[in-house]
Amino acid sequence: MTKYDINELYDHTQEPFHLKHLLTDLGERTVYDAAAQCNRCGYCETVCPTYMLTGRETISARGRNQFLRLLIEGKTRDIDSARESFSTCLLCGACSSVCYAKVPTPDLVLEGRRSRDGYGRGFAARLGVDLLLNRRGVFELALKAGYLLKRLGLAALAGKLGFYDFLGLPALGAAQDALKHAPLKFLRKILLKDPALKPEGKKEAAWAYFAPCGPNYVFTEVGAATVALLKRFLGPGVFTDNFCCGLLAYNYGRVTEAREFAKKNILRFEELKKALGGFTVVGDCSSCVAFMKSYEQLFTEDEEWRPRAKAFAEAVKDILEALPTDKIKGRGPADGETVTYHDSCRACHGQGIRSEPRETLKKIAGKAFVELPESDWCCGGAGAYAFTQTALSERIADRKIRNIASTQAGTVLAGATSCLLQLNAGLKKKYPSARAVHYSVYMDNLTR
Amino acid sequence: MFQKRSFDEGVRRALENIAGPENVFTDAAELLMYSYDAGLARAKPEAVVRFTSTDQVAPAAKLLYAAGIPYLPRIAGTNLSGGTIPLKGGVIFNLSLLNRIRQIDTINRLALVEPGVVNLRLQIELEKFGFFYAPDPASQKVSTIGGNIGENAGGPQCLKYGVTSDNVERLEVVTPEGDVKLWSYGDPGPDLMSLLIGSEGTLGIVTRAWLKILEKPKVVQTAVAAFASVENAVSAASGIIGAGIVPRALEAMDKISLDAAKKNLKTDYPPGTNAILLIELDGASDKKVAGELRAIMEICKTSFSTSFKTAADPAEREALWAARKGAYPAMARLAPNVMVEDGVVPRPRLPEALRETRDILSRYKLTAGLLFHAGDGNLHPNILFDARDLQEVKRVRNAGYEILKSCIRLGGAISGEHGIGVEKRVAMNWMYDAATLDFFGAIKAAFDPRDLVNPDKILPVAQDRRARTRAFPPGFLGEAAAVLITELQSRHNLGAKTAVTGSGESLRRDKRPLRGKWDGAGCKALDTTALNRILELDRENFTVRAEAGVPVGELRKWLKKAGFSIMLPDLDGTLGGVIAAKVWPPARDILLGMDVALADGSVLSFGGKTVKNVAGYDAMKLFCGSLGAYGVILTVTLRTTLHAGAQDTGYKTPVMRHKSQADGRNPVEFKPDEYHRRLKKAFDPGNLLNPWIYD
Repeated sequence: MTKYDINELYDHTQEPFHLKHLLTDLGERTVYDAAAQCNRCGYCETVCPTYMLTGRETISARGRNQFLRLLIEGKTRDIDSARESFSTCLLCGACSSVCYAKVPTPDLVLEGRRSRDGYGRGFAARLGVDLLLNRRGVFELALKAGYLLKRLGLAALAGKLGFYDFLGLPALGAAQDALKHAPLKFLRKILLKDPALKPEGKKEAAWAYFAPCGPNYVFTEVGAATVALLKRFLGPGVFTDNFCCGLLAYNYGRVTEAREFAKKNILRFEELKKALGGFTVVGDCSSCVAFMKSYEQLFTEDEEWRPRAKAFAEAVKDILEALPTDKIKGRGPADGETVTYHDSCRACHGQGIRSEPRETLKKIAGKAFVELPESDWCCGGAGAYAFTQTALSERIADRKIRNIASTQAGTVLAGATSCLLQLNAGLKKKYPSARAVHYSVYMDNLTR
Repeated sequence: MFQKRSFDEGVRRALENIAGPENVFTDAAELLMYSYDAGLARAKPEAVVRFTSTDQVAPAAKLLYAAGIPYLPRIAGTNLSGGTIPLKGGVIFNLSLLNRIRQIDTINRLALVEPGVVNLRLQIELEKFGFFYAPDPASQKVSTIGGNIGENAGGPQCLKYGVTSDNVERLEVVTPEGDVKLWSYGDPGPDLMSLLIGSEGTLGIVTRAWLKILEKPKVVQTAVAAFASVENAVSAASGIIGAGIVPRALEAMDKISLDAAKKNLKTDYPPGTNAILLIELDGASDKKVAGELRAIMEICKTSFSTSFKTAADPAEREALWAARKGAYPAMARLAPNVMVEDGVVPRPRLPEALRETRDILSRYKLTAGLLFHAGDGNLHPNILFDARDLQEVKRVRNAGYEILKSCIRLGGAISGEHGIGVEKRVAMNWMYDAATLDFFGAIKAAFDPRDLVNPDKILPVAQDRRARTRAFPPGFLGEAAAVLITELQSRHNLGAKTAVTGSGESLRRDKRPLRGKWDGAGCKALDTTALNRILELDRENFTVRAEAGVPVGELRKWLKKAGFSIMLPDLDGTLGGVIAAKVWPPARDILLGMDVALADGSVLSFGGKTVKNVAGYDAMKLFCGSLGAYGVILTVTLRTTLHAGAQDTGYKTPVMRHKSQADGRNPVEFKPDEYHRRLKKAFDPGNLLNPWIYD
C-alpha cells in the first residue's frame, strides 16, 4: 500500500504493541506516510500550547512530527533524546485541527512514546490496566480503599502509599485535592439498579448510556445528570453496563489491552443491538467518546473486528452533541449568574464539536452565556499530564484560568472529566469565584 | 552528523550568563529540531540560544563574533528557501519569545514591535484601533515580522501599498559584530535600513522595528470572477491595471489550487471554471468603490468571465480570502510536499510566463497548482511532490530552475518575496553578472568581514559559481553614459578625484567652489547633464526608464503629455541628483531599477521593471542618499501611474517633510556611520568620488 516501507522505530517483535495504520483525514495511511504528510508549513505552531509558551521547536507539533519521522527513517536512532519532545505533548490535537492535511500528531506522538523501551510496561501501569480489564471488582475495591483513606483525612497517606500509582491512575492521585467527595458507591452500581434503564423486556431504545470511568468512579453526579437529560429529551433508553473504553490503556502504551477493552464494549453493543435495534451510544466524557469514535483505527489489521468496530464507532455520540436543541426547554440561570464554555480538547479537536453545545446552551442560558477567550486552549489536564509535566501544565492552566477570569463568569462548563479535575484545581487556587461544572449537570439543573 | 567537536564550554557559559542557563541548549534533540525549516535544506547547529529580551541579542552576537562562531537568527522557521538552516553549524538565535508589540502610535502612525510578533497578531491588534499594516503574506497566520523583514515579504495588498521595505520606518539592528544601530530610511546618507530589509539575516539582526501603519479604508469590496482559462483571467487583470484602477489586491488561482482550497469555499463556480480572479478594492467612499467595481466587472466581461460575484458580507469576504490564503496549505493535502516557486515577471509578460511554466511542468511530469499575484506579476507555482522520492525531488528542482530562467528571460526576477536562502543561490548566477555578485559580496564583507552571520546564504558559494558571464546583458546604455564611463575609468587609472555634480541642484546645491584640498585642482567635476534621454515608457507595465540627468520637472511634463504621472513632487534638479541626495526620501517607493557606474567605471544594474524583487541585496537603496560618493547613477526605472486627469489615483503631491533639504538652504548634515564608511571603502577604495564626504 505504500512505496516507503521503512520502519526503524521498533523491531517486528513489537508490532502487536503498535498501530500499523492510522485512519487520517486523508484516508488510511501507514504511520510513516502519516508523518511524512507534514510538510513543515508551521501553521500548528500558532496553536500548539507548548510551543506558544516556550517558543521551542523541539516541543512543538511540527517538531514532534519531524522527530517521529526521523526516528522511522533511522536518521536519528536515539529514541531517548525524543523523550522530552513526546512526553510534553498534551495530545490536545489543536495542531491537527489547524493543519490543512490534518496530520494526526497525537497518534504519531503516541507511536513515538510506545517505542520507548519499557514505556507502558511498568508494574503499576500494567497492573492497573490488568485489574480494570480482568478483575474489575478488585480494582474497585482498591479504589474504594483509597477513597476511604481520603475520607478519613488520610489523603496524603493514600498518595504516599502510591494507591493511585498502583492503579495506574497517577492523575487521580495528583488531583485528589480537587476531589471534594470521593464516591463510595460507583455509578455503575447505581444505574444497574434503575429499572427504567434495564434492557430486559424492551423492544427498542433511542439511546444507551455509556458510563466512562470519570463519571463512573469519580463524578457519579455527572452520569446521573446525563441519564436524566437523556430520559427527558430523548425518551426511553438503557444503560450499557460497559467496560472502560480503553483510552487509559491506549494512552499508556498498552495497545493490546486497549483492543481488549474495545472488544468487550463492542460485544456488549452488539448484544444490545440484537435486542433493541438501532440506538445511539451516548457518553459524557469527551476523551472517552472521541476514543470510541476511533475504535476502527485499533483494528485496521483485523478483518473480523474492523467492520464491527466501525459500526460501533458510528453509533457513538457525545452528550455535548446528543441533545436535540429544538426540543430543549428550561428556565434560565438566576439573575446575574453568567456561564461560559470551555472546549475540551477531545470534543473540539477530537470530534469537531463546537457549535452544538453552544447553541443548546444559548437557548437555555440566553444572555447569561459569555464566550471564553481561547476557549479551545487546552486546560493542561490531559490525563496524567498535570502529574508528569507539572511546570508546563501549570503555565498552560494559568492561561486558561486567566481567560476564565476575564469573562467574570461564575460557572465554566466542560465536557470531559479530566478538564473538571484540572479546572477546579486551578480555580480553587487562583480564581475561586468560578467553578467548573460538567455540561450535563448544568443542563440537567436548568431543564429539570 | 559530522559535527564531532562539542560546543566550547567557555562560550556556553558566557551565553548562559547572557540569556540564562535554561535558555542555552546543546542537547541532541534540540539541535536536531533546529536542523530544518519549511524548505528542503538540512544542517545541524551546535547550540540554540533562546532569548527572552532584545537586550540579550547584542552581547551574544559580540561574544560569538569574537569567538569566530557562526550564528543566525530564526523565529517561526517557515522559510521556503532554506534561509534559516545553519550551513556552517554554529548557534541558532531563537527569537520567537521576543514577541511583544511595544507600542501602537496612531498619531504618528507607527507600530513598534519585536521581531517575533506574528504578522496576523499585529493585524488583529491594529484592527482594534482601526488600522492595518500593509504587508500581508499568505503565511501571515504564522510568519513573523522579523521573518517578513528578512525576506522583504509582500502579500496581496502590496500591489497597492508596497512590500515590507516600503512599510518600515526605522529598525533597531544588531550588527554582525554585535553593535546596536538605529537606522531609518529617512536618515541623511545611504539608506542602510532598506539594505537590511530582505537581507535574510546575513547583514544583521533586527531587534525592534517601527512599522508604518495605515488607517483602515472606509469601504472594502471583494469580488471574485471566474474564467474558463488562466489566460482570460490574466488578460482581465491586465485590463484592470491598464484602466488605471489600483485594486487593494488582484489574485489569481488556477483550477488545481481552486480544487485544493475548495473546502473553505462556500460559493460554487460555473462548470468549466479553470481560473478565478480575486479582486479587492478599497476607498474612502461607497460611490468610488462601486464605480470601480462596475468598471472591473465590464473589463472581466470583455475577457469572457463566466461569473462575477461580489462578497455580500464580511463573512463571505473572509471565506474568499481563506480560500486564497489557504491554497498553499491546502495543496499540502494532495501530496506530502509542496515546492512553492516564486518568480516575478513584468505583469504584461504574465501570459507568456504562465505558458512557459506550464510547458516546463508538463515536460517534467509534475503537477502544480498555480497561484499568482496577478497585479504585480509574481508567480507561485505550487509543485506537488514527495521528498522521499529522490528522482522526483530532482525533477522538481530542475523544473524550478527552468521556471526561474524563464522569468529572467522575460525581464523578471528569481524571487518576489520568498528570498534566495540556499535553494536559489545558484540561480543568482543566471540573474546577475560576476561584477554585480562581487558587489553584493563586498556589501556582505563590509558588514560581516569574518563571514559568520548566516553564512553561505543568498550569494553563490564557490561550487555554485559556474557562469561567469551574464546570460542576459543589460540594455544599451547610450553614448552619453559611455563617455562618462570612459572618463571614470581613465580618472580611476590616474587616481584622479571626481566631484559628481549633476545639475548642481541637489548634490552641490550650495554651488560654492570647493575649498581646501578639494578645490578645482584636487577634484575634477563630472557633469552628468548629458545623461538627458528618457529611454522607455512601458505603457502596459507602468514604468518609465530615464537617464539620471533628466530634470524631474521635465520628466513630469513629458509623462503628462503621454497621459501618465509620477509620484514625485515638483522638485528642482535631476532624477539622479534628487535620488542621490535623498531630497525626497519616499522616492524609494517608486524606484524600481537603476544602472550605476562605480568609481572604477564598472557598471552595475539593479532591480528591473517589477515591483517585487528580492533577489540579492537591495543595493539600489544604498545609492539613495549616497551623495554621489558610492557611484554615479546612470539611469533609473520608476513606477508611473495613469495621469490623474483620467482617473484619480488618490495621489496628492505631499507636503514636504524634509523642507530644509528641499529648499537647499540648510541641508541636513550627513555624518557617515561606520558602516557607511566601510561600504565606501568597499566600493571606492581610492576615495575618488566626492571625496570630501568621507574625508
